[in-house]
Amino acid sequence: MFEFLKKVFANEDNSSRNKANDRLRLVLTHDRIGASSQLMETLQEEIIALIASHVEIEGTPEVHFITEGRRTALDISIPLKGR
Amino acid sequence: MEKKTPDSQVIVVTSGKGGVGKTTTVANLATGLAKLGYSVVVMDLDIGLKKLDLILGLENRVIYDIIQVVEGECSLKQALVKDKRFPALYMLPAAQTRNKDDITTTQVEAICEELKPDFDFIFIDCPAGIEQGFRNAIAAANKAIVVTNPEVSAVRDADRIIGMLESADFKDIKLLVNRLRPEMVRSGDMLSIEDLMEHLCIELLGVVPEDRSVVISTNRGEPIILNEHSSAAHAFNNIVQRLLGNNVDLMTLEEDSFWRKLKRNLGFKN
Repeated sequence: MFEFLKKVFANEDNSSRNKANDRLRLVLTHDRIGASSQLMETLQEEIIALIASHVEIEGTPEVHFITEGRRTALDISIPLKGR
Repeated sequence: MEKKTPDSQVIVVTSGKGGVGKTTTVANLATGLAKLGYSVVVMDLDIGLKKLDLILGLENRVIYDIIQVVEGECSLKQALVKDKRFPALYMLPAAQTRNKDDITTTQVEAICEELKPDFDFIFIDCPAGIEQGFRNAIAAANKAIVVTNPEVSAVRDADRIIGMLESADFKDIKLLVNRLRPEMVRSGDMLSIEDLMEHLCIELLGVVPEDRSVVISTNRGEPIILNEHSSAAHAFNNIVQRLLGNNVDLMTLEEDSFWRKLKRNLGFKN
């Protein structure tokens, strides 16, 4: 509740500082692995296609970049259908 | 020249982006250390676009430059320009009419080796960019100061530079945030120190607030660190202490109120 009030009064979400942080997070992740934002989609499609050729997928697969410090990792979550 | 320490610190000051304050940083940290009696040499590797001589107010004393040294037209000692304020401070000027490819990494390393016996600190003013000039500047250094401004384009370039320094096996990379405006951070219109640390993930060496008197001191060719009434000078002095291995808290970056200015002008420490 307190956090909510703080946000409302400081109008934090809309600040240009927050906007800058969001844009930097995205652009630095892409810069560090030397890839465009298109790569995400390509990766997701290809990974899913590969898995799907062996096992049946159920639900929505998710592929994300996660960053820890200056390192980046791929976080893949693909729900598989049980027999 | 009398050295105070057995080893020499060779520090490259770099940023990727131009105009963030690399040369100002080099001039002030070098002057601050020389003022404390350390023997310091600053090397301008921004060949073709030299600025360090102007910032230090030594432009009229330049006779030879670094390219003439590597081409054998003069000795290294002849090319060194002695500072007019501090006898322990020297500058090795860049050449203005040549370019970055006129010197190699091996030649820069050789010059640094020749300087080490005489100097406690060797500062290398790196040109903007990530090409040959950057490679020359980092070749001989064992420490790097990455200068950035709290602004998206400068942070992005700083991140790229940090990545390149890490690939070049640099172990000692520190961040200097220049031109911070605390009142804008408070109103949500500027990236904060915490934000920059989150993005860049390297150790913070110091924060220099935006200070109008830097423009004035640059006009005069007198490094701002010599003006004890300015907040930028206070910040640079703290960074000098940290380079010497002393723990100094980050200065409180409150808005420069009338009372704070008055206190400083009356000689009270912040």
